[in-house]
Parts: sequence; structure tokens; C-alpha cells
Amino acid sequence: MLWRAISEDMPGPKWSGLFAQYWPDYKRWWLKEGESTRPTYAESRRALKQHMPEIVPLYEELCELAGGGDLAARFLSFYCPPPYLAGCSQAIWPGKQPVMVRNYDYNPNAFDSLVLHTKWQGRQVMGTSDGLWGLVDGVNGAGLAISLTFGGRRVVGDGFGVPLILRYVLQTCTTAEEAGEVLARVPTHMSYNVTVLDKKRQYLTAMMAPDRPALITHAAVATNHQENVEWVSHARFTATVERERYLLQRLTLHRDPEEKFIGAFLRPPLYSTAFHAGFGTLYTAVYRPRKLEMELRWPGTVWPLSMKAFEEGSRQILIPGAA
Amino acid sequence: MPKWQNKPTERTDHMTTTVLKNISEIRRYFHRNEDPVYFISATNFNLLGLDEWVKNFKYICYIDCYGGKHPNVFCPSEQPHAEFQSIEDINNYLLQHKEVIDFIKRRGGKPKFVFLMFDAETERLSKELGADVWFPKAKLRTKMDNKIETVRIGNKAGVPSVPNVLAEVKSYDDLKKTCEKAGIGHDLVLQSAFGDSGHTTFFIKSEADFRRHEHEIIGEGEIKIMKRIDCRGSAIEACATKEGTIVGPLMTELVGFKELTPYRGGWCGNEILSTAFPPKVRQKARELTFKFGEQLRKEGYRGYFELDFLIDKKTGDLWLGELNPRITGASSMTNHAAFAHADAPLFLFHLLEFSKKKFALDTTELNDRWADPSMIDSWSQMVIKHTDDSVDICTEAPETGIYKMLEDGRVVYDRFDYHRRAVESENEAFFLRILQPGDYRYEGADIGILVTRGRSMTKSFQLNERAKKWIHGIKQTVTAKPLPTATAFADPAFKIL
Repeated sequence: MLWRAISEDMPGPKWSGLFAQYWPDYKRWWLKEGESTRPTYAESRRALKQHMPEIVPLYEELCELAGGGDLAARFLSFYCPPPYLAGCSQAIWPGKQPVMVRNYDYNPNAFDSLVLHTKWQGRQVMGTSDGLWGLVDGVNGAGLAISLTFGGRRVVGDGFGVPLILRYVLQTCTTAEEAGEVLARVPTHMSYNVTVLDKKRQYLTAMMAPDRPALITHAAVATNHQENVEWVSHARFTATVERERYLLQRLTLHRDPEEKFIGAFLRPPLYSTAFHAGFGTLYTAVYRPRKLEMELRWPGTVWPLSMKAFEEGSRQILIPGAA
Repeated sequence: MPKWQNKPTERTDHMTTTVLKNISEIRRYFHRNEDPVYFISATNFNLLGLDEWVKNFKYICYIDCYGGKHPNVFCPSEQPHAEFQSIEDINNYLLQHKEVIDFIKRRGGKPKFVFLMFDAETERLSKELGADVWFPKAKLRTKMDNKIETVRIGNKAGVPSVPNVLAEVKSYDDLKKTCEKAGIGHDLVLQSAFGDSGHTTFFIKSEADFRRHEHEIIGEGEIKIMKRIDCRGSAIEACATKEGTIVGPLMTELVGFKELTPYRGGWCGNEILSTAFPPKVRQKARELTFKFGEQLRKEGYRGYFELDFLIDKKTGDLWLGELNPRITGASSMTNHAAFAHADAPLFLFHLLEFSKKKFALDTTELNDRWADPSMIDSWSQMVIKHTDDSVDICTEAPETGIYKMLEDGRVVYDRFDYHRRAVESENEAFFLRILQPGDYRYEGADIGILVTRGRSMTKSFQLNERAKKWIHGIKQTVTAKPLPTATAFADPAFKIL
């Protein structure tokens, strides 16, 4: 798996190059249920204007860079995309410093393996990219970190693909409290647990769903179910209950130093090697929002990335089982 | 017609004995019970041995602790299911399993169900199967189980709780302010409204302690905040019947021993012995439990319940810890003490209360008899959990039966038995297997329950040497293999652009 870290302050040629590279695959995915199933450009843009007005100019700029086509613009709006699923575990370290650790469990063949560092609209953001401007986890210059896990429910509704919601939060919010308000307000098209942690160590987890109001909780741990397991086979498959129980044990029974806490994510039962089933752990990310730093980790290797001194680069990662 | 075909006893039973007048008649009534009674739970541990007092009593369990060798334990073959989040989930799974439904139908009669835990869904499923749940409604039990409600009932009954304040907590500073106002200091024990043995009891003295539990405290509504007192834990079980509350003996509690449980403050066993507490304390506990039971009846609750009393080490004062409106992990102790064999196990009175059978009983006389130290023999039980911070897969685990401790301290399997009273001496123990080969062994996973004659604690309530040897001996016989792991290789060979 080739991982890249790319930095570009304002939307420009680098982003445009990335788009050109990823678009054929995304287009195939986005059209897999037929073009007419997806909202029109007018609907998509209207939804963005209604729910995330602040980032509409950025969206328009990116559409331009993507070539100005109708399909690309509709895809980039993240409005009512095809459903997608993932695994994932995330938790807030119970020590003094604000630290968030998460595993992203997914299919390696449907993943950007890209860290994007940007200063769009004057706000620094770095994080793990999805869909070219969406994020599955990230941190911004105000010291706000964010991460998502799939909520383990099959319901699909009208709303945005969650990676864009994460991008929007990082573009517009500075504290966990502000993020909570946004997460409660913006419609999501599937169920996700989104955890935010700010530099003052305030945190919250929003259990978002398309069919009921978001539940803002003080959960320090999120795996792949919400209040109850609703999708039984997915829960069993991804061992979401065991992972949650295990993480809660780590939080309450131990006084783990930071390093030990992070280490737990790189070992079973949190670390999954079930790549054959599409839910292997692709990476572990560590966010230290006060320091504006993140790390990507794999068993035996660490890739530190800093917002203040972001260095582009790449890593060839070989994980047994993840071809 | 030969005389023996007349079945004269049955006729008299129906015609003359409409009211059960004494223990003998109550015992006979259950020995001739026709309608099937089922205890449905993860294991049959809590009501171990009850099948020998009640005809047609069966256990329906998720885990077969006996490898198919217990005649009254029925375990359906496992089918795919969601990971259980609670005992209620297990029961609801069992009640929807075809083999369970077939089993119940095949045995006929009007089934009666008893559970350790159940919810509204369990009640619905039971109704669907035409069964009566022989417990007060889940809704009422949930209400009673709420720690805040327990304090209220205790206050009404004249059973005092540890100095406490009920409040919502927003932050550590907020908590400190609340406690200053209430004058209970900063060395605290917090409990959320629901929850059991250590999972929802938090010891908080510093901000670091608070951080570890803040996700369980903030946003959870009213929390019971108690002054931390230097005390011993004790447990007592009782049964609220229409003839008055019947009170079992005061038991010690094994709490938070690191050899047994990773949970600080977590329950890990009990002892029953007549001299565990001074006579005055025992008498007081019995009185308070009786009063509490009478108050429960006024609140509409009836049947089995358990109270935890915290006994102040210095003053001997008794404080109400918590109420479990149900059978518990200690029920097996109460129902196997000498008095239970001499008269009847306490749970039999629970069944009697729900059977609608008329009975007259002098509960005062019974309570007085059970208060007699000679009615109590010494036993102890230890719930052995995996306490290491590791996860692996069990390959071998000791099976249920009677174990012997050899001269060199090794613990060896001696013979199969499912009766705990089959333990002959202090060199023998009954072990009930919970962990099975193939199961994950994780921190907090139950390995099994060990029952011995005699004490497992010293006079100062520490684990004694013999108990430690037994725990070590059992744990030694568990083997496991590691989980598969991955190693990734990263190559930062080139820079792009």
C-alpha cells in the first residue's frame, strides 16, 4: 500500500492532479447504482448552501479544478452518495494531555491512503483524506481533532457523506462544543459516531443518523454501534462490542502511559487482520491537538506529521494479508 | 382393585390440604410439583441445586458448564447471534432459539420462568411462549434497582445509607463544589444509577481518577456521590412474602482481590460462616433487612432480594450499600447453607410466593431459627476471573467437578460432580467451569467459580494462604494460544514532487 502525504496551501495543481488520478475509480463507485439515483447538481449545491454555506466558495473552486463537469461536481458535493461501510475504533486517552487514537478498518482497495495538508480558506487542516476533500480523521490549526467510526446501521437517508461533514467541522469550528452543534445540525446519509477533541481536552461523541436526531454524548470510546447493536451480522463480523468493551477496560482499569495506550491499538483485539473480509486495520492514527501533531502507525513503524512543519513524503506499507 | 392403585395421598392432597401449614408441607408441595419451572440464564450457577427441591425444575443455559453431564441443564446448540451486551440479551436470545422453544413445548404444562435479569422484551417473549414470569415486573425491578430509588426506600424503611448526595456532575471542579456543599469531603465513591459489581462504582480522589471515569459520569444524569468510609462489605439475602420477610444469614463479601478480579471494588465472592461478624452486627443486619423487605412489599415488590451492607470497621455501624431486587451471585451461598438443607432453601419461598398456593407460615419463628449460629456451616465461593492485561484464546480449561489440593499445592481434578456439597474436606473444592476451550481469555473474563468448605479470608478480611493456593492452582491449569498479529514494513524510500 503506497501512502502519500501531500501539502498544498490553496486549491491548485496538486489537488487537481490528485483528482485526475482518483476520479476514474470514484466515478465508477459513484455511478454504481446508476446516475439517476444520485441527486442533481442543482439539488446537491442547494443542500450545500443550506447546510454548509461557509464552504460553498471552496466547493466551487474545487469543481473548477476538477474540470467543471456535472458528475464531478455532484460527486464532490458528497450529497447522498452510494452507501459505504467501515469498521474502526477510536478513543480518548485518559491522561492529562488531549490525545485521540483511532484505527481505521476498511478495505485497502477502496481507500485513498493519502494525508492531505491544506490551508484552504485560511484554515490549516491536516488529516486522512477520503473522496479528495473529505476526511475520515483530521486536526485543524485551532487544535480541534476529529475522527469517525461507522455507526453499524443500514439505514440510508438524505444527507451528506460523513467525510465532508468532518471537513466542514475542521474548516469552521475551533472547539468541541462548536463542533457538537454542527454535528447535531448537519444531515448525514448514514449512521456514524464522530468524536471531537479540542486543545482544552473537551470532547464529545456525536452519534449521527439519517433517521433520528444526532445524540451528543460524552462517550470517550466509539466502535461500530450506537446505543444498541442494531445490525447483528455486521456487529459480530467486526467484533464491535468486544472492541468497545476492551477500550472501556483500558480507560477505567489502567493508568496507561500514552505510548502503552496507543500500543493497544496495534494489537488484537483492536487491530484486525480480517482483510479477506474487508475490515482489516489499514492504519492507526494518533492526534495530539494541543501540539498540532498527528502520527500514522503500523505495527513496528511510526510516521509523525506536524502541522507547523509539514513534510511531504510517502511510505510503502506492507501489511501481511492486505495485498 | 388393589389398594395401591387408589392413590389415596393425591386425593387427600387436593381435598384437605388447601393451605400449606408448615415447612414439611411446603417441601412436599414442591417435590410433587407438576408445572415445569425454568431458570433461564447464562449459566445455572445462581440457582445451583434447586432442581433437587422442585420437581420439573430445569435450567436453560447459554454456557454448558458441565459438558452435557448435568441431567437438568439444557443448552441449545449455538447459532449465530449478536455479541451479547447484557444478561438480558442472552435470555432473549435463548427464548427465541428453536431448540429452546421445542424443549419447552415438548415438556408441556404451564411453564414458569425465573431469571437473573430480564427486561420488557423478555416478558414479551415469555408471554409468547405461554409462560409466567415469576418475578415482579421488569419495570418495577428496574425502578427499585436504581441506586437513587434504593436510598429513598431505605430512608422510608429506616435503613440509612452512607452519607451521600445525589447530583448531576458536569466537571471535576463541579463535583468538588457539590461535595463541599454537602460536607462529605473529597475522598469519594461515585455510583451511577444502575450497574453492578465494580463496573459503575468509581473511587475518586483526584482529577486523574476523575478523567478515567468522566465518560461514565458526565451526561449520565443524577449520580450517587458517597463519602468514602473505611468499611467491610457484606451481603444478605431475603424474600418478601405475604406472610412477612424471610431473612437469610449475613455473608461476607470478597471485594476487589487482585488475584480474582481486575475491577477495583468489584465483587468476587462470598463466605458464609456464623462468626464472620459480631452477634450485634448480625442481629442489626437482620433487623434492617426485615424492615427493608417490609417496605419493599409496600412499594409493590415481592420475592427474592439482596442487600449490601457496609460495616464501618471502627464503629460497627451499618450502612445500606445497594439493593439487588433479584437473585444474585451470592444466592448459591444462601441456598446451600445448613439451614437451607434443614428447612428449605430461601428461593423456595420465592417460588411459593409466586405459585399462588395458599400458605401459612410463622416467619418470625423461621427467622429466629435461621438466626441461630448452629444453623450455619462455613463455606466460601470465589469467582475467578482472568486478571492479566492480555488477550488470547483458551486451549484448555479445568472442567467442572471436585478438585483436590495435593501436599505440594498442586490442584488436580479428582472426580465429576455437580453437587457442591460433595466437597468432603478443606482439601477439596467444587469448581464450576465457565471458560471453555476456544473462548477468548481477556482481562475480566470469567474462568470459573470455586467453592470450598471453610474460609477463604483471614480475620482481617484478606485472602488467606489456602485461598491463594487454590486460585493459583486453578489458573495454572488454563492454557491459551496467542491471537494472530501483523507486522508491517514501511519504506520511506522516496519523496514525491
